[in-house]
Amino acid sequence: MLKLEVNNLYKNFGGLQVLRDVTFEVNGPELIGLIGPNGAGKTTLTNILDGAIKPSSGTVYLNDKRVDTLPPYMVARAGLGRTFQVTRAFRRMTVLENLLVPAMALHATGRQNFEAKAREVLDFLTMSHLTNEYGRALSGGQQKLLELGRLLMLDPSLIILDEPFAGVHPRLMEVIYEYIHRVNSDGKAIIIISHDMDTIFTLSKRLLVLNYGDLIADGDPQIVKNDPLVKRAYLGEDEEEG
Amino acid sequence: MEHGAIFGWTMLWIIFWGIVGGIVTPRVYERRNLDVSQARLGGTAIGAATGPIGLIPLWVFSPTLSSRWITAAGLLIVAILAVAFARADPNNLCVTNGGFVASQLTNGIVIGIIYSLMALGLTLIYSILGVVSFAHGEFYMIGGMVVYYMSVSALFENANPLVWLLGAAVVTFLMGVAFERMFLRVMNTGQIERPKEYAILVTFGLAFFLQYATQALVGANPVKTQRFFPFPNLDIPSQESAWLIKTTSGNIRLFDAVSIPNPRFTAAAIAVILLLMLMWFLYKTWTGKALRAVSQDQQAAAVAGINPNTMNTLAFGMGAMLAGLSGATLVQVFAWLPQVGIPASARAFVIIVLGGMGSLPGAFLGGLLVGLVEAAGTGCIPDTTRAAAYIPAYGMVILTLTLLLKPTGFFGREL
Amino acid sequence: MNLNRMGGWVVGTLGVIALLVAPVWLTNSPYLMHLAITSFFYAILASSWSLLAGYAGQFSFGHMAFMAIGAYSAALMGYYVRFTTAATNLCRELSLGGIWIVLLNPQGVTQTNTPNCLEMAKATMPVGAIIMQPPVWAGLLAGILMGALFGFLVGSLVLRLRSTYLALFTIGFSEILRAVISAEIDITQGQSGLKMSPLFPGGISLFGMEFGAAAKVPPYYAMLLLFLISMAIMGWLASSRFGLFIRAIREDEEAAAALGVHVVRYKVLVFVVTATIAAAAGVIQGHYIGIITPNILIILQMSLVIAMAVIGGLESLVSAAIGAIIIEFMLELLRNSFDIGPFSVDMTTWRLVFFGALLMLTLRFRRNGLIHPLITWFSRRNVGQETVANRAAAAAAPDA
Ligand SMILES: Nc1ncnc2c1ncn2[C@@H]1O[C@H](COP(=O)(O)OP(=O)(O)OP(=O)(O)O)[C@@H](O)[C@H]1O
Ligand SMILES: [Mg+2]
Repeated sequence: MLKLEVNNLYKNFGGLQVLRDVTFEVNGPELIGLIGPNGAGKTTLTNILDGAIKPSSGTVYLNDKRVDTLPPYMVARAGLGRTFQVTRAFRRMTVLENLLVPAMALHATGRQNFEAKAREVLDFLTMSHLTNEYGRALSGGQQKLLELGRLLMLDPSLIILDEPFAGVHPRLMEVIYEYIHRVNSDGKAIIIISHDMDTIFTLSKRLLVLNYGDLIADGDPQIVKNDPLVKRAYLGEDEEEG
Repeated sequence: MEHGAIFGWTMLWIIFWGIVGGIVTPRVYERRNLDVSQARLGGTAIGAATGPIGLIPLWVFSPTLSSRWITAAGLLIVAILAVAFARADPNNLCVTNGGFVASQLTNGIVIGIIYSLMALGLTLIYSILGVVSFAHGEFYMIGGMVVYYMSVSALFENANPLVWLLGAAVVTFLMGVAFERMFLRVMNTGQIERPKEYAILVTFGLAFFLQYATQALVGANPVKTQRFFPFPNLDIPSQESAWLIKTTSGNIRLFDAVSIPNPRFTAAAIAVILLLMLMWFLYKTWTGKALRAVSQDQQAAAVAGINPNTMNTLAFGMGAMLAGLSGATLVQVFAWLPQVGIPASARAFVIIVLGGMGSLPGAFLGGLLVGLVEAAGTGCIPDTTRAAAYIPAYGMVILTLTLLLKPTGFFGREL
Repeated sequence: MNLNRMGGWVVGTLGVIALLVAPVWLTNSPYLMHLAITSFFYAILASSWSLLAGYAGQFSFGHMAFMAIGAYSAALMGYYVRFTTAATNLCRELSLGGIWIVLLNPQGVTQTNTPNCLEMAKATMPVGAIIMQPPVWAGLLAGILMGALFGFLVGSLVLRLRSTYLALFTIGFSEILRAVISAEIDITQGQSGLKMSPLFPGGISLFGMEFGAAAKVPPYYAMLLLFLISMAIMGWLASSRFGLFIRAIREDEEAAAALGVHVVRYKVLVFVVTATIAAAAGVIQGHYIGIITPNILIILQMSLVIAMAVIGGLESLVSAAIGAIIIEFMLELLRNSFDIGPFSVDMTTWRLVFFGALLMLTLRFRRNGLIHPLITWFSRRNVGQETVANRAAAAAAPDA
């Protein structure tokens, strides 16, 4: 059973306070949306959870193990996987090799088993025809799928997707939806960062709202939607509709 | 032997505590969630300067490390080394003879100005194209070669040396422009997978090519031009006691103490004029302002209607030209070979890393410093053969230390 | 794919066999033998540099420095270390169960008359005590260990430095090393260099034939063996998880780390491996040539290795090695100067001019090198068709 505890996170870049006393928990295979205006600190939060940057203060526990002091590769092995806002496929490696990296980083055993698994993953992502193509030959959307595939190979217990729907055709969107549901029903928790409100409200069961460093709401999307604080701070421009 | 021992132990002590400070301090600061950006440099400097006396309070109180502290520690290190040196070798000219020291320092600054000019070219290229040209020294070499071969050609033999300089400027500028167009422009088109590495290798290839092409064309015998502008004979205030300025055609003597050979003096004078012209160009003309705008922000400049391709070409051509002009002024100072570009390149790398890559003031300051350090090194180190072998290494030690401790140098931007 | 792979094996095996039997024809020409040995030397350096730069993306200019560290470690060991069966009580020494490892005091170049500590100690040592120069293999071992150590040091120091900064740092490292070797004349004899014993000082018998210390056949096989071993090791590494990870690191360090790759470990490791191989090549080459001087550290040497790897194909060990062998032969064969009418063309320089131009043009227009595309053409020629076919099939099928 997954458990993520984020306690009193602060992050300063020089004089700029990007996160302020952020505290929340994830218990079990939740499907969580994380929203906030541009520059709210969502990517920074992801980077801290993943170990890429250290918080100024505060702690993060993943399955009762303290991870905020660990380097990213250890956090990844401890069960946290993430995608990047700007896709980061390994451009001069084949799609198959892209998928093998996390699998082999995690396990010391041979390559054959993973190739079979990678092919399954590619089938699921409707990418099997691209198995031996180089990453750089893929379209932007295909590269996003490739990143999702790499996460499946890593087999983490918590996944953070930074803007998975940006610049994606509706057809591909379907694939990503299905991905999210399947991964979620496999017992993995997912945090989705997105500016696409409709998608977030339909997908997630719980919503976190970051507003320039403050976590101003955490709860059921419908309730959060009507929270006056959120309305004012974040959904303000939609007020006439809501 | 005695002096070696004292000086050697002092060096060891400094190095040891520098390393301790550099390794431990960032850990201490990190554990306390303090700003670690200066901790490595500050720890090293304070450790090297004061040893445990300064380090322990530093670790206990972990104050904010300002540049002022670090500069103070750096000066203290220099002072300690100077004292150790003086104690170790009391008969050294650098210790006993103030006039000699003044001469050395002045000559260091004089040559440093020319180094600055060359490094400015390199840093200009870096600030616009994001590329360090490994062929910079070869443009320097070619500038000198052009001047020499003009000065011995039937056509230009009797021309004013300024015409030779102009020739060197034109040749190196055009070569730089041609190279940028043929080889570097593709970097911006997305056809090149790893543009930075491509640029390193292709400029490296250019250096190789130019060096051997020059050697194939003109051979490998050292050449040197005569003085561009011999001094008139001056005695100020009077012939009997010319304590203020006394010149012969090949030398100038100031205050009866500082003497500067004519070729260096004229080279530096020309370099100063060129520097002023460069400043005028960069700060007063539209094109110069556009160049600086691009160096600050490629995108904003593109929005403002500045064509980045043109700027890249111009910057590379001007960078090559500045290197060529430095060579052109120095061909009357040093013996010129197709290989002179190699140490010159290395020196320019040291200067721009020290000053901060892409920073114009940094390159200027770095050039003066390197000139001073070289002058002190050549003048003061007693064992001359060893000193000669180590001189190029000093710069490289500075380079590697800067890269390890503060890759942004004096004035560089964040990586 | 399988057919291609088999084809690759066949061609590779044939190539190795050809190299193994080549001395039968070459042995009459010491010049060609020398060329072959030197070309293997450069092939080792170029292919290991391609592992470092092409696979791992670490464009280091310090590769020749590792080579020199290997050669100098072996040479210094030959000069200053002796194995004896009795204590000298004068030199610095270390006892190892009846054998003493003795460190001689450096003599410098000028004072050739004063005896070293071992000479002086001989009077007091028991009669019949054996004094032995360290064997070549001990030097090789020392060179390899020092190469690995310096690879580790440099690899750890450059972890945070990328592209241009890494290039500048490694140039600095290489130049400092050259200055130290040139300056510390008392120990390294500076520019005059250190002599090294032949690889097989007492001669050796191979295939029932006796070869003297100066014969070219034994060093040929020694260098070839080192070449094949290092290619085997690097080829195995490149096709294993190590190769996968360093390529991932080359592409995107942060993404690799986020997927669980221990970036620091593999970056340091790739420096250790390639430095070790370069150092080993340096030891063998030093013994073969018989002398090592600081001039092997000049920029020209590093340029040669880089150009060989680039022209062969930076992202393939085999291409880089083949490129090195071909270029070494070409450079030598182009050496002959000639006259056109009144002009004499000095080819010793002009060949380098062409070579520089070839390097630039390859970078600009054939960034995978000149050899590598041939190899990929054979091994990947199906991928395009495969993708097209799969794509057609995917399009024909109803939405998945
Ligand atoms: N390395 C850094 N140094 C300085 N400031 C930073 C750094 N990284 C992020 N910031 C600042 O932190 C703030 C939050 O950035 P972050 O990328 O986390 O926002 P975000 O919520 O992901 O925004 P978006 O929706 O646009 O992706 C921004 O103001 C940004 O400028
Ligand atoms: Mg973001």
